Amino acid sequence: MSGGFEYLKALIVEDNSHMRSLLRALLNSIGITDITEANHGKAGIEALRLRRPDLVLTDLAMKQMDGLEFTRYVRNDQNSPNPFVPIIMITGHTEKHHVEAARDAGVTELLAKPITTANLFARIAEIVERPRAFVRCGTYFGPDRRRHRTEGYSGPWRRAEDMEDMEVS
Amino acid sequence: MAQQSSETEAELIQPDDYPQMVSKRDGLRCMQTLQSDRVALKAKTAMTSYAPMLRDAIMDYVEALEEAGTDLGRIFGIAHEIRNFAENAGMATAGRVAENLCRYMDEMDRVKKPVDPAIVTLHVAAIARAARAEEDDAKMGDVVSGELNALVKRRLTDAGVR
Repeated sequence: MSGGFEYLKALIVEDNSHMRSLLRALLNSIGITDITEANHGKAGIEALRLRRPDLVLTDLAMKQMDGLEFTRYVRNDQNSPNPFVPIIMITGHTEKHHVEAARDAGVTELLAKPITTANLFARIAEIVERPRAFVRCGTYFGPDRRRHRTEGYSGPWRRAEDMEDMEVS
Repeated sequence: MAQQSSETEAELIQPDDYPQMVSKRDGLRCMQTLQSDRVALKAKTAMTSYAPMLRDAIMDYVEALEEAGTDLGRIFGIAHEIRNFAENAGMATAGRVAENLCRYMDEMDRVKKPVDPAIVTLHVAAIARAARAEEDDAKMGDVVSGELNALVKRRLTDAGVR
């Protein structure tokens, strides 16, 4: 029996080649083999147009075009091929203001570096099992940002499970 | 179906009304895959197989860090790379110290206060020492990163970071 992921196309937007390789290997392990890599947001946009991925994994901090700008393009630009595509932002910048910036750009899920297999799979499972409603208002288009948050804790969030309680994901 | 939220005047587009990554039928199989022991082992093996490559990369970053001198932007960038995957390379202590340095520099930048070069130097030395240790000594790593963490906390408090 097939695993359900084999027809999916993924796009990895990440400037670190080691991290790209690692992510590719982890996606391979669940059966995603049609993977395009881009080393910054601008190349990611090109790949998005050409490959029409079903899932996007992007870094936050990149030269030329960072993950926030890339995400805003995907969600808001009239030429975006799929404004609803799930975007997992994988970042070492887990301080509150970075997390909020990612949320406001329209990411679907956040995953903190260093990554673990369990955390990456948990983020993908979240997209599969509990897809979020999208919100369109004057200043925002993207996944619904309202989610339970733990009061009184302002981060930093080292692991993805720590970020689950943010409004972000 | 799209709905108007009375509270926010926002249009809500429910998951059934936009294209999903996988169909509901495929979703069940995807969840079985994600929860499968066989897949977990495969992923763990893949992760482990990358550790030597990542260790080499971390050592290159450490050298670059030591050569960065007083270039704080460069130091921050390199420390972030170390913080991002030192743990995946089996160098958890180096990763924790790098994380601490990044947090310090990031918060000081956010409150527009100058970074203390002595704090940076201490962290760079600790990262290099931890990375070059033959084995990642968790106990010693806890002590070193704990002390540096306490130092950074004090400095951030002095700088008015809450």
